[in-house]
Amino acid sequence: MLRDGLRMSLLAAAAGEPGGVLRAVMSHRILIIDDEDDIREVAALSLETVAGWDVAVASSGAQGLVRAAEYNPDAILLDVMMPGMDGPSTFRELRKNPLTARIPVLLLTAKVQSNDQRRFADLGVEAVLFKPFDPLTLSAQIAGALGWS
Amino acid sequence: MGSGAQSEIADALARLWTKFLPDILERVCVLESAGAALSAGTLGAEERAAAAAAAHKLAGVLGTFGLAEGTALAREAEASYSANSASDLVGAPRLRQIAIELDKIIRTRG
Repeated sequence: MLRDGLRMSLLAAAAGEPGGVLRAVMSHRILIIDDEDDIREVAALSLETVAGWDVAVASSGAQGLVRAAEYNPDAILLDVMMPGMDGPSTFRELRKNPLTARIPVLLLTAKVQSNDQRRFADLGVEAVLFKPFDPLTLSAQIAGALGWS
Repeated sequence: MGSGAQSEIADALARLWTKFLPDILERVCVLESAGAALSAGTLGAEERAAAAAAAHKLAGVLGTFGLAEGTALAREAEASYSANSASDLVGAPRLRQIAIELDKIIRTRG
C-alpha cells in the first residue's frame, strides 16, 4: 500500500482510445468541503469521473476538520462562504492541527471582487479557484495549481 | 479524456441537474419575493440578506451546469442585494426582471 494517496491505479483507458489498453494513472485523495449539496456533488463527480481521484466530502467547516484528520487527503477543496465556520476560519483551524497543517488547501469561491481575491490569497492557501467551474477541467485546474503532473 | 468519459459526465450532470432543480428554483423564488418586497417598499434586512445569499449560490452553480448567462444575472443581483446602502440597490424593476430571466433560463435548460 502506497502512502499519502499517491497510489498507482490501473484504470481502463478512456473510451475512444485505440485498443482499450490499460494505463497507469496517478490517483489522488481530495476532500471537498462545501455546504452546497449541488456544488459538492458536481465537484465530486468531476474529480472522480474525469481524473479518477478518490473523493471524500464534508458539508460544513466543522465536519471538514474531522474528515480531514481522518481521511488525510492530498488536498482540500474548501468553499469560502459557509454558515457557521466559513472557509477562512476552517483553513486557520486546519493549520492549527498537526494532522492537517500541511495539507494543501485550495479555496473555492463565487466571489469575483478583486479585494476578496487579495484577501483570500493573503491567507496562505495554495490557490483560489472560482465558481462556476467547468466540471471537465476542474481536476486539471487543481493539478496545475498543485504542480501535479 | 475520451468521448466516452465526456458522455459519462454529461449524463451524470444531467441527473444532478434534475436532482437539484427544485433547490435551484427555490433560490429564484427567494429573488422573486425580494424583488416584490422591494417594489412594495417592505424589503427588510433579513430578506435582503437571504436574497444576496440566494443570488450568490445561483451565481456559483448555474455556470457549472453550462448556464453562464444565468451566472452573470445572478452576480448582478448579488452585487445589488449585498450593497451597503439602499441607495446602492438597482431598481426594483431590474431585480424583478433578473428573477424572471433566471427562471426562464433555468426552466429552458430543463
